[in-house]
Amino acid sequence: MSDISTTTDRSLRGRIFFPLLRAMGIQNFCLIAIIILVFGGMSLFVANFFSPANFEVLVMGFIFEAIMALGMTLVIISGGIDLSVSAVLGFSAIMIAFFFKARFPIALALACTFLIAACIGLFNAWMTNTLRVHPFIATLAMMLTIRGLALAISNGENVTSDFPNQFLFLGQGRLFGLPFPIVLFIVLAIVIGVLLKHHRYFQQVYFIGDNSRAARLSGIRVESFIYFIFMLSSILACTSGVLTASLYDNASNSYGINSELRVITAVVLGGTSIVKGGTGTIFGTVLGIIFMSIVYNAFVMAGINPYYETIVIGSILLIAVFLVEFFRKLETRIQ
Amino acid sequence: MANTGRAQSGARTFFKGISRSRESSLFLIIFAAFLLLALLKGNIFLSLKNFEGITTGITYDLLMAAGMTVVLILWGIDLSVGAVLALTSVITAMLLRAGVSIPLSVALGLLCSLGAGALNGFCVSRLKIAPFIVTLAVMSVARGTALVLSSGYFLSGLPESYTHISEGTFIGLPIPYFVVLFVLVVLHLLLKNWKFLNQAFYVGTNPQSAVLSGINANLVTFVGYLISSLMAGIAAIFMSSKLAMGFSQFGQLAELRAIAAAVIGGASFTGGSGSILGATLGVILIAIISNGFVLLNGSPNWQQAVSGIILLVAVGVDAIRRRREGRE
Amino acid sequence: MGEMLLQLEGISKSFVSNKVLDAVSAEFEKGKCYAVVGENGAGKSTLMKIIGGIYRPDAGKVLFEGKEVHFFSASDAIAAGISIVHQELSLAGNLSVAQNIFCHREFVNGLGFINWNRLYLEAEKIFEQMGVKIDTRKKVGKLSVGMQQTIEIGKALSLKSKLIIMDEPTSALSEKEVDHLYGIITWLKDRGVTVIFISHKLAEVFRIAERIIVLRDGVLVGSEETGRITRDEVIRLMVGRHITDLFPEKAASRGDVVFEAKNMSRKGVFSGISFSLSEREILGFAGLVGAGRSEVARAIFGADKMDAGELVLRGKKVRIGNPREAIKQGICYLTEDRKSLGLFLSMKVKSNIVAAALQNFVTRMGFYLPRKIKQQSMRFVQAMEIRPFDDEINVMSLSGGNQQKTLLAKWLCAEPKLLIADEPTRGVDVGAKAKIHKDLRALAESGVGVIVISSELPEILGLCDRVAVFREGTISAILQNRNLGQEEVMRHATK
Repeated sequence: MSDISTTTDRSLRGRIFFPLLRAMGIQNFCLIAIIILVFGGMSLFVANFFSPANFEVLVMGFIFEAIMALGMTLVIISGGIDLSVSAVLGFSAIMIAFFFKARFPIALALACTFLIAACIGLFNAWMTNTLRVHPFIATLAMMLTIRGLALAISNGENVTSDFPNQFLFLGQGRLFGLPFPIVLFIVLAIVIGVLLKHHRYFQQVYFIGDNSRAARLSGIRVESFIYFIFMLSSILACTSGVLTASLYDNASNSYGINSELRVITAVVLGGTSIVKGGTGTIFGTVLGIIFMSIVYNAFVMAGINPYYETIVIGSILLIAVFLVEFFRKLETRIQ
Repeated sequence: MANTGRAQSGARTFFKGISRSRESSLFLIIFAAFLLLALLKGNIFLSLKNFEGITTGITYDLLMAAGMTVVLILWGIDLSVGAVLALTSVITAMLLRAGVSIPLSVALGLLCSLGAGALNGFCVSRLKIAPFIVTLAVMSVARGTALVLSSGYFLSGLPESYTHISEGTFIGLPIPYFVVLFVLVVLHLLLKNWKFLNQAFYVGTNPQSAVLSGINANLVTFVGYLISSLMAGIAAIFMSSKLAMGFSQFGQLAELRAIAAAVIGGASFTGGSGSILGATLGVILIAIISNGFVLLNGSPNWQQAVSGIILLVAVGVDAIRRRREGRE
Repeated sequence: MGEMLLQLEGISKSFVSNKVLDAVSAEFEKGKCYAVVGENGAGKSTLMKIIGGIYRPDAGKVLFEGKEVHFFSASDAIAAGISIVHQELSLAGNLSVAQNIFCHREFVNGLGFINWNRLYLEAEKIFEQMGVKIDTRKKVGKLSVGMQQTIEIGKALSLKSKLIIMDEPTSALSEKEVDHLYGIITWLKDRGVTVIFISHKLAEVFRIAERIIVLRDGVLVGSEETGRITRDEVIRLMVGRHITDLFPEKAASRGDVVFEAKNMSRKGVFSGISFSLSEREILGFAGLVGAGRSEVARAIFGADKMDAGELVLRGKKVRIGNPREAIKQGICYLTEDRKSLGLFLSMKVKSNIVAAALQNFVTRMGFYLPRKIKQQSMRFVQAMEIRPFDDEINVMSLSGGNQQKTLLAKWLCAEPKLLIADEPTRGVDVGAKAKIHKDLRALAESGVGVIVISSELPEILGLCDRVAVFREGTISAILQNRNLGQEEVMRHATK
């Protein structure tokens, strides 16, 4: 059996390299290596790359997708997918703008917006569980509908409303020297990451994703868990939407277009398999997010035409899926 | 379902198509919607201008819904059609602006859409990657390429004779109508009567049985994706001709409308069924409902939402129908 | 006489019109090991699934620890103390051993966070008891199949199971792992846990079980202590039944050689496969499930690859790369799973019949000739008596027997020179069986080479002129069917 033993190997390789490799898996290890390489490369060739100001730009450029990627990780581990997140983002931004226009107090506006998003997630899960529609199809249809509703309700225009100042803090304010969205993301990533790894309820997702039939036999309530993760995914997408509206002091129904693709790519890069559920970690997703942010930022800094972005992202996704499967088959072949 | 028993002529096929329950109920619904709108908003609805608006809009959707039907029959999906449409329009426009002759520009533009289809087809049939991932990725590559090439601008200033493609008339109706009708009829007949394309039903119903029955499933699948992208390409030529420009944002969400129409027309996400006639009726139905919504509501911004809701309903009804039939 | 743990009284079960179990009664004591044997389709796994709560019996009672029980799901049975270790293991490969053992029952603190140390410790305790060395932190997917199976047993133990059922536990194990499994079963018995296992391998059955239960066609035909019955007697109980005239007359003489296979091999699957087939004779492939018969057939058909070997059809060497080429050469393979591999269930009978021969029904340009299609399909429907005599209905609505006839019609329509029929009458009623046998014999008489793969010995012996007996990837014997007895075939098929 393939066990890289470290008990007798006292060299540097044995004590640091291999345990690290084993702990995080081949894919994540390679990803870190690539990130360091690209990072190093960029620092050499692009002035000001290695500066706090640029770091902030780099992170903020992808932060909203990053938040959604946390929820998407869970959904994909469970064997499903949620293509509606980008639409929920845009729709939530529009919604909260409308609530503020109607002079709702902040707490109420937020509560209502999140409630609506949760309902969208609920509907996605219902179609998956009860109607047995494949989540990909269900969330694809939902994406079209929600985008359409956002367009219709906003009449195709941006919704500028008077956002209360305290609300603007969410997107524009700073905490501990960092923009609030970044702080929020860090907190969410840590919380969700810890829960996923250590909490019994969250651990179920691995069983469900690997073999839902066996999971049911073990007494796991598969259906109710699916409701939970789709609602979580929508709520996180809503969070991103609200933050976006706050950041730009404006709500446009074009927020988040095509972001579902970037989110899925980040998650897949992190080692979560789309083809077979039951694998994936928040840590991996965070690595994927970092990678995607760097790629995005590299475009901006190097002055490359931003329109190349979609080509690159698409290709990265294809390659990433391929690699995940390749590594997965490699690992099973090693035994 | 494969119809290997051929009706004797095009007309017979048409009537045989009607007698099947799904198409006839669609006809009824369309007819009902038509009557309803004629009663409520007759003066606007029944105007020539309104009709022209509807029919021009659906020429593009009809083509892509037909292509999508073929792919769905094969148990696949093509999310890239909207992006391929945009890319083709951009490339054709660029060539025209560079002075390349119209026939050559059109040919190269269509070649480019075939290229996208080939990429899709290859990855799905040979590399065995899931169709939705492949076409999702190709969608973003195509959209991105269109953006890069056009830098996001409208590519106008196309030669006047180019716009004649969509403006030119024959017995009073614009040429595109005839081309679309021709393509739909040909595709419908080929799907029913030409062995090669008809095999798509076998492949989509049960790919393993198809291979074990000696059918070249890979080739049929490849061609299916070629057809889908080609449809998007033809739509792009008409759209860029009509609007006199190439634009990287053309075809946004066109793939979803195509899927909705195809599914309403009887295609299933699990392959093996679908009909061009049904998809055509689906497109018409969605168009009438959207138009009705706009007329009743006054806001064109509801079109997309309506398409989405229709798609959701179609998907849900399809799922329920399949569960009842026991086909999981 | 030990304490009674499980009693079955008059258990019957039917699926649609197919009676799978007929009034089976049996008793199982605590701390003993039982083996359930029988041919394919005898009802063994259905019986186990009823005990395990996956199916509910149509009639009869199940008494567990003296009380009548009704299980509505597998979870009910597990809660009562009955676990099944299925052939397809149900573990989550990406999670650790300990997590799999305590799936959904992990040790948590007040807030629900898993106490990892305790989890690994408790899991280790279980394996210590079993005398097994295992690192409970390891991901299950990285362990061998034998180890995974042990983990499933450990899981059953942790669930305080009093009865553990194992379905073909040794089919995927190496010899060393098999020994290891025996050790565990012995240990279980000592602890008062009852073990029932299904197996085809009689040698193992005699080694480890205290009592053998034999099922045949859904009926319990024998239940005896292993010390008091011989292997041959068990075999006779398994197969003995009167052969009705289900079978047409055999060939009087042989003609020229139609097909020859020379030294076919595929690493890990089969090796040294050589045989020949002559006109007018039907060759049978007998052997246990997993012996490699279908794999050889698929290799000949080009559906699977072959590392080495030569195929000669009518004196001409042929190289087959895929099913399309095979069919072009005239080699056809009737798959053993008609629903998922052979038929197009949601399509019409007519479409299915022509599916493998489409190129014969088109014009030069490739357009269908509907009249020719209709003619041929109706011809087959009539000739093979596919009821109801309508080729426009969906195959899905046909009975099993008629579906199988449709599948056979599909291949006959392709005008084969060699037909390999894999389980041609599986799940088919007697009437359809007889008809299919007649058609196969007629096919052979017309000069087409016919190979029949079957797990039903009476079918092999009733239909085939010669029998190639497979055993673990090789042909252990090719026997002439002259007064050939079932016991002799089984002897060559088992070890």
